[in-house]
Amino acid sequence: MAQTDADQDQLMRLLMKIAQQDRRAFQELYESIAARMFGLCLRLAGQRELAEEALQDAFIQIWHRAGEYHSDRGAPLSWMMTIARYRTLDLVRARKARQATSDDDLHDLDDGREGPLEFSLREAGAEKLTGCLDELSDVQRDSILLSYYRGFTHEELAQALSSPIGTVKSWIRRGLMALKRCLEQ
Amino acid sequence: MKKTPERIEALAAEYVLGSLRGAARRRFEQWMMESGRVRQEVWFWEEKLGGLAEDVPENQPPASVWKNIERRLWGAEQPADNTVRGLGRWFWPSWSMLATAAVLVLAVVLVQQPRPTGEQLSGAIVQANLEDPLWLVSESGAENLLKLRSVAASAAEAGKDYELWVVPENGQPLSLGVIPAGGVHQVRLSDEAREALSRSRTLAISLEPRGGSPTGAPTGPILHVTKLYSL
Repeated sequence: MAQTDADQDQLMRLLMKIAQQDRRAFQELYESIAARMFGLCLRLAGQRELAEEALQDAFIQIWHRAGEYHSDRGAPLSWMMTIARYRTLDLVRARKARQATSDDDLHDLDDGREGPLEFSLREAGAEKLTGCLDELSDVQRDSILLSYYRGFTHEELAQALSSPIGTVKSWIRRGLMALKRCLEQ
Repeated sequence: MKKTPERIEALAAEYVLGSLRGAARRRFEQWMMESGRVRQEVWFWEEKLGGLAEDVPENQPPASVWKNIERRLWGAEQPADNTVRGLGRWFWPSWSMLATAAVLVLAVVLVQQPRPTGEQLSGAIVQANLEDPLWLVSESGAENLLKLRSVAASAAEAGKDYELWVVPENGQPLSLGVIPAGGVHQVRLSDEAREALSRSRTLAISLEPRGGSPTGAPTGPILHVTKLYSL
């Protein structure tokens, strides 16, 4: 599902048009990435209503901020996914939605996830970060991926991984720094 | 807290991951506004960790989401069409000029601050080759004041001044007067300017003869266009 360069070029062209208030380009952008973005919002939010709101907010931000995009910020898709991700995390935190989410709600999601972090994502994540996640210890990697995909707080991580908060914080910090050293090689 | 390379590195990673929270997160966003080095570090992680998002299964959102986006942006009665809207006629020649100068005018970095009452707009005017923003812009809602703090802006060439404009959604830009390239400058917004700015959230800076545009409309090149955000 990786984006080809041609896809990214197309997204870049759309963003440039959107920066000039082109609504048709905006709709085209929505149609091409909304499902992908909604998948991410839904995973992070753990419930549809909130994920839908985050998706709306993200596209409204993209409309207003398209002119800010430039290539130093990474590929256009990851820039937009980042906007959606931050917005979802904000909403989740603002409403403490996770506390209200029952297990039933989680079962309603059709993404087939199981356990704190399903195997497929762990594998995919490792590949995406050019094998660098393999260099981390299991707990470091899982803390990072759970924070990324599920927006877990330190407290939630501590609970999920049955470890003290201080330990979890240090796993994340050290894991991220090890990841950076590896990615820079 | 000092911005040491080690702190920037550690905090940027946690910022992007999302594990940096609350007041620490807001402080770090202030750092992002102030320093190109910090922004670069954040972008590094956004790009690297962004790859992880590609493997999440797609999920088609309901049609109501797109309808709501359209309604929130343009109101219910206006479906998407091919009409270019928003920036008035005056603006179009300048936009094409800006496209060539696109490397000059770059990012607007978000400032997140708690807002006690109503919306407060803020943003930064930055330039690609400079670490620091040229100006930081923030609105203090209660008194209709717009505050510009000059950071890396250099004085206009001899005989010239910078002039600040609100670019409304439609129609002519509204002058907010000449702005200095040093120190802190405050502009009191007229009700009209406040209203236009809260809708379009767009400011522009043009280069004008000393003392400002003689005609009341921009006459010189548009140097910067920036969008403000409320958070």
